[in-house]
Amino acid sequence: MRLRHARTELELHELSPRDGPALLLLHALGGSSAEWSEAPALWPGPVFALDFCGHGGSDWVRGGIYQPEMLAGDADVALAHVGVAALAGAGVGAYVALLLAGGRPEPVPAALLLPGRGLAGGGPRPDFDRSMLTPFTPSARPPLPAGCDPLCGALECDPRPPDYAAAFAARARRLVLLEDGDPRPPWWAAAQRAPTAESLDGDVRRALARLAEIATAHGGHR
Amino acid sequence: MVAPTFPGAVEPERERFVESLGLRIHVVEWGDPAAPPVLLCHGFWDHARSFATLAPLLAERFRVAAMDGSGHGDSDWAGAYMWAGHIHDVVAVLGSFGAPAHLVGHSMGGGHVTDAARTAPELVRQVVNIDGFGPPPLTPAEEAQVAERFTGFLDQRRAAASRLDWRPYPSLDHLIERRRAQNPRLTPAWLRYFVFHAARETAAGWCWKADPLLAHGFGPWRPDWIAPGYARLRAPMLAVVGSEDDTWGPLPDAIIGPRLAGVARLERATIAGAGHFVHVERPRETARAILDYLEP
Repeated sequence: MRLRHARTELELHELSPRDGPALLLLHALGGSSAEWSEAPALWPGPVFALDFCGHGGSDWVRGGIYQPEMLAGDADVALAHVGVAALAGAGVGAYVALLLAGGRPEPVPAALLLPGRGLAGGGPRPDFDRSMLTPFTPSARPPLPAGCDPLCGALECDPRPPDYAAAFAARARRLVLLEDGDPRPPWWAAAQRAPTAESLDGDVRRALARLAEIATAHGGHR
Repeated sequence: MVAPTFPGAVEPERERFVESLGLRIHVVEWGDPAAPPVLLCHGFWDHARSFATLAPLLAERFRVAAMDGSGHGDSDWAGAYMWAGHIHDVVAVLGSFGAPAHLVGHSMGGGHVTDAARTAPELVRQVVNIDGFGPPPLTPAEEAQVAERFTGFLDQRRAAASRLDWRPYPSLDHLIERRRAQNPRLTPAWLRYFVFHAARETAAGWCWKADPLLAHGFGPWRPDWIAPGYARLRAPMLAVVGSEDDTWGPLPDAIIGPRLAGVARLERATIAGAGHFVHVERPRETARAILDYLEP
């Protein structure tokens, strides 16, 4: 279905219409809802997958401005449509899930943070020696897939300070962070220290099962 | 309606557009096109005509251009805005002169020209920053409430789909009154001239030209990041403030001083009798300080 976030039209896919706790999926940088095809079989309720602006079936932003807080606005418009939903995000979608879980604690019983492209952003603070036009210089990074606005590469440049992430984590109801042995950025470690955060070793299947436990116990289904 | 006039305000001699990130950026110019260029950058919610009294005084020696930032004046509206996009706009216009330029910016535009000079040093000669040294530091309460403030941002974004344009006002006077409430030091005659060019008359009434979405911004940026940026500025800077307290400044020297401490080649000037809109309140004195500073 089509949703509107300010001047941008977004595509929200309902992958699995049924009763139960809702799940809203937020893809990684350069991804789309298509990467979540296995999720409905792993989730006990309705599953929605959003295409962020600049990705998949959603509009590209006029003027080419992409930043995590605006993507969180995309996800919040989808959340308004779904009602109450657990979030699962990969890469930049994990950071967006953290922002939304802290910005909208009431309708988000829990958020699952998964690795993927765009997880680190530009690091914990700005690189003051780097050109401010780097976000608009796609050649500086591996190319994004066709169909994705090349200017979305800005989502690999934005600073993500640990204390900023910690403030959102502190307000989120529950966070589940999936570890797989690969290094994680400083903002992730800061979120992990929140009292309501838990870390899991293993795979996405196990992490979604844990998220479903929390969401089911929370109730508040559609 | 006949365009208002204002003593000392001179109509631009030329206008053109420059492309930046797919948006058309509006540029007006005064003075000899063969003279060395100076680019003027306005503040938040303002537009190129805010320099209508300063530009003709600088045009005695320079090719003077003033730009409308994206979302402002007669430049295009974007889907979203962030600081780096405005820097892209400034650098795009700088690239249109065919020679390095002097940069003059007011308020938010002062921040833009400083960052543009860092970003494109090969295109910039000297920088004049007019009371554009950033907001005061966050209070501890503001820092602690970042996620709560983000809820407000999300509410604003949800509402934006039905508020993508301004509601029309019945007359230009209504808009002038709105602006006067924010800038009480500015005279009614100036505000009539300035607001006329900040608005357009539609069948339904008078609307601001500036994009309402410009008010939507959120991110981890903090005033602590101003000084490290200034410390990497290679171009010389003239830092100008007015002597009088005003709605938006100047900040106390205890705040500005440490931010400017890292600027390698810094001169400072205070214009007596002026508030935040230094160049509007005292165009001759401001032009004199700038002309004394800028290399020919």
